[in-house]
Parts: sequence; C-alpha cells; structure tokens
Amino acid sequence: MLPERKSLVLDEHAAADWIRDGMTIAIGGFINSSHPMALVRQIIRRGIKNLTVVGAASGGLDLDLLIAAGCVKRLVTTYMGGEHYCPVAPFFRIAAQRGELDIFECDEGMFYCALRAAAQRLPSTPWKAGIGTSFPEINPEIKQYNDPVSGEPMLAIPAIKPDLAIIYAAHSDAFGNVQHVGTGFGDRAMWRAADKTIAQVERVIPNEEVRKNPLATSLVGVDAVVRAPYGSHPFAAPGYYIEDGEHIREYVDAGNAYAKKGDRGPIEAYLEKYILKPKTHEEYLETIGIRRLVALHEY
Amino acid sequence: MTGTTTLAKDFTIKELLATFVSRQVRDGERVAVGAGLHVPRAGILLAHLTRCPNVRLYVVMTFTNLTKEPRMEPFYTVYDYRPAKWAEGYIIHDDFQEDPRIVSDTFVVGGLQIDKFGNSNLIGVGKDYKHLDFRGPGAVGTLSMAHYVDRYYLFVQSHDKRILVDKCDFISTVGWGQGGSDGRKKLGIPGNGPVYCMTPLCIMDFDETTKHMRLKSVHPGVTVQQVVDNTGFALIIPKDVPVTEGPTEEELRTLRERIDIEGMLRK
Repeated sequence: MLPERKSLVLDEHAAADWIRDGMTIAIGGFINSSHPMALVRQIIRRGIKNLTVVGAASGGLDLDLLIAAGCVKRLVTTYMGGEHYCPVAPFFRIAAQRGELDIFECDEGMFYCALRAAAQRLPSTPWKAGIGTSFPEINPEIKQYNDPVSGEPMLAIPAIKPDLAIIYAAHSDAFGNVQHVGTGFGDRAMWRAADKTIAQVERVIPNEEVRKNPLATSLVGVDAVVRAPYGSHPFAAPGYYIEDGEHIREYVDAGNAYAKKGDRGPIEAYLEKYILKPKTHEEYLETIGIRRLVALHEY
Repeated sequence: MTGTTTLAKDFTIKELLATFVSRQVRDGERVAVGAGLHVPRAGILLAHLTRCPNVRLYVVMTFTNLTKEPRMEPFYTVYDYRPAKWAEGYIIHDDFQEDPRIVSDTFVVGGLQIDKFGNSNLIGVGKDYKHLDFRGPGAVGTLSMAHYVDRYYLFVQSHDKRILVDKCDFISTVGWGQGGSDGRKKLGIPGNGPVYCMTPLCIMDFDETTKHMRLKSVHPGVTVQQVVDNTGFALIIPKDVPVTEGPTEEELRTLRERIDIEGMLRK
C-alpha cells in the first residue's frame, strides 16, 4: 500500500534542532515586518553561536536582537535599523564600531545578486551599480573586473549560500505549500538560495485551501512548517497584525542604554523576561498578554 | 497646477520643500514613494493629486494610483501593509534585480554625509572602516536605485557642516564622482545623477561644467551667509540668489486636507 503523503509540520523545538553553531542562516521579512520570531527566540534560548546571518535585504531589529544575545559572527544585510523607531540598530552599531562583527557590506541589488548566484550554483553574478563607490574597498569579497564582452568595469558579487532559510508567512498547508499575504518581500530569493527552508506560519491551512488559489502559492515546497500564531511579534504580519510599537520602543530603549551608557542591565532584563524565562512560544505570548496582542489589529 | 495659482502666505519650511519636490515629478513616470521621510512623500503625493494623474506610484511594495482617494491615511514605514488596500499590483522585492527600472524613474537619497559633487554616504563616519566613529544604517537600496533611475534628488533634514562635507569618508551612492559633466560617464554609470540637494535652508544644484554644488535658492527668511556658514565646502554662489518659491493656495490646501492630515509638516 502506498503510504500517506508526509506532513512537514514540526513544533518549534524540533525545527530549532535544525539550527547549529556556525551555520549560515537566512532570516526572511523586511525591517519591522514578517520575521520568524518564534524560531529566532529559540536560537537565542539555545545559545547558538557563531552564526552567519543573511538578511533580510533590509534587515532590522530581529538581527540586532541576535547580535545583542551574542549569536552572530558574520552579518550579510543592507540596512540595520527600525525606520522611525530607531535610525541605526543599537547593538549592531556598537559591535560594528568596535570591529567585533564581520560585515558583508552590500546594498539591496548586491544582496540579491549574492543569493541569486547561490541559487544558480554560480560562484558570483555581475552587478554594475557600485562602481565608483567604496563597496569594493570595504568589502574585499566584491571584486571589480572588466567584462570580457564589452570591456567595461563590472563588480562580481560572490554567492552567499544559506544552509537554512527561516521565513515567516501567513499560511502553509502541511506539505509546505506556502502562501504569503502581501508580497513576501525577498523571501523567495532566500528560499531559492538556501539548502533547506523552514516556514514559520500564522496558520496551517488545509491542502484544499491551497488548491483553491494556487497562484497565491509563493514558495512551492519548503522543507518544514512551524505553526506559531502571533509568531512575528513584536513585528508586523500582513493581513494579521501591525507591529507592536510599544514593545519595539522597550527594546530600543534597552539598546540605547547599552549604546549610549554601556549599560547591559536593561537588555539582560529584556532577554530574561521575554526570551529565556518563557520556554515556548505560548509562554512568550502569555508574557506579552492577550490585551496587547489583540490591540494590534490592522483596521 | 489646477485652480488658483495665487501663492500662499503662511506655510512651513517643510511644506515649502514638499512643494519643491512635487514640482520635480513628471506625469506618466513611475515614482517610488518612500515612507520614512515625510517631506518627499508628501511632495510626490502632492504632484500626483494636483498635476500628475498618470504617475504610477510605488507605495509600500505595491503599485497604485491615488487620484480618487479623498485623503491619505498615514503610513510611515515601507513595510506597512495597510496601504496595500490601494494596490493595483505587487512588487516582489527581489524582482528589482531583474529590472530596476520597473520600480521608479526617480528617487530621493539621504546621507550621513553628502559631498560637493553630490556623492553620499550611509555607511559610517570615520577614517577606519573597521573602527568607525559612527556606524550608519547601511546603503539599503540607494546605491542600485540611484544607478538605474533617470535622475535623483538629495535630501537632508538638517543643513550643517558635519553632513555637507568636502569629501565623504565613504561613498555609498555615486553622484558626480570626482566631478565634471562626464563624472558619471567615466565610471560607466547611466542616468542623469543627482539634480538638486534640498535642505531646511536652501536648494542647491550642480554647476553644468564642474558638477560642483551651487546655491540655487534660499528659503524665505534665510540669508546666503547662513547657508555658507553651515556648509562644509566652498559652495558656488551665483550673483543672484532668488527665494525658493512656496506653494500656491491650492497646493497648500491639498497638502493639508488630503495628504498631511496629521500635520507632520506643520510640526
């Protein structure tokens, strides 16, 4: 007898078992939206170290939190801030100024070149924008060369291959057919480049729902699916909730205490209260509280 | 401009700058509307609602047209999903790499530093990249956008010598490179580069031959000397420096009643 099609749904602990010290991990979303935070918090809880963290194309405070918790060795992103909440991410800023962080300096065009090269199993892809800037100097992995056809100067952007992409989406069925609400930002590029992808979703929906609108399937086949309602909190989730500005400000205040006064007390308290003490995503949500969560509606 | 062309009397510098931005937009273009900078955002929407009904607006990862929208609900971030209710189509962010020109014909670039040839820096301030005095947020998409768009505009929220410098410590976006009208061509960079640099004190443009920054107009109540004193390089000062033209009554009404309903430009 033919066995049943296999469900790819994992709980957050089983999914986090895929993440190990020293890996290259791509993290989906965009600035203050759509990050797989239940999994990001598991990374911190487990004390995973020496990660190369890729993105998002415009990263944000999700990556800053990983830097604050000491998980990051190398960073690949184009922007580290929180728009009007915070012009420059605090832990990133200090670590960068002290030379403690290995940064692959790039812009969005270069960022996608690096992922595209990985997806196409190429050593690099060409990009033109960046000639005449400081990028080839401050990022020696980007090489200037003359195009063999036209002779004009070009930049070779090296492939960056994530071992694993963890992305956030609204929906997936149990078989890894992911349907974003909204555009999905650069999540497709990460999925194409990475060896494996885990989608953390708001809801696991029936396969019949996916088949109603296959055009909406944005990632056709990820490797594992984790259900985590309110799982992008404190960041936004298109179609579900806006970002939790009050919580983001609490984090930024803790970051500024460190960046401006060298005081790690507030961030240690933040990490203890919101990440280390709650052992699961459900306990995290209990800490945030139902009133706060339901107040984050879009309309 | 539609309706009255009588110039308004009472307006803020931010409203003046939004009006200046609006006059740079050409009907029928694709125009990216950033979210974080209130002034350029309001200026582009003002052009759309008063003069440019065929502009294809790029708003929070969507394309849209807002001419029938009675008033703009506020959006302050590039990821805010709520304005997606207006969408005619989505931009998949990495599609930018497939065809950068689908996004916009024009762009606004800020900077920690901007130099006399319009090169700009979002990387950081300091001499040693590994030990910067101040680490900036990073280039975002400015470098690739400014490379591919038809033309772009520099915008800073304060006019001072730390920002307007002789030479950037690092260049994240090339303006006119080392100067000269062939400054971009020599580097093989397409597009018409930075056109104006807008600040709370003045508008600057670039000398046609040297592409060195030049004072174009000062805002009402600002003196040429004030601009010179707060600029970190020798600005070209023409013989006649006019006052930057403000909004018409119609433009100001549209700004206040349909675009800037929260009054961010009046604060």
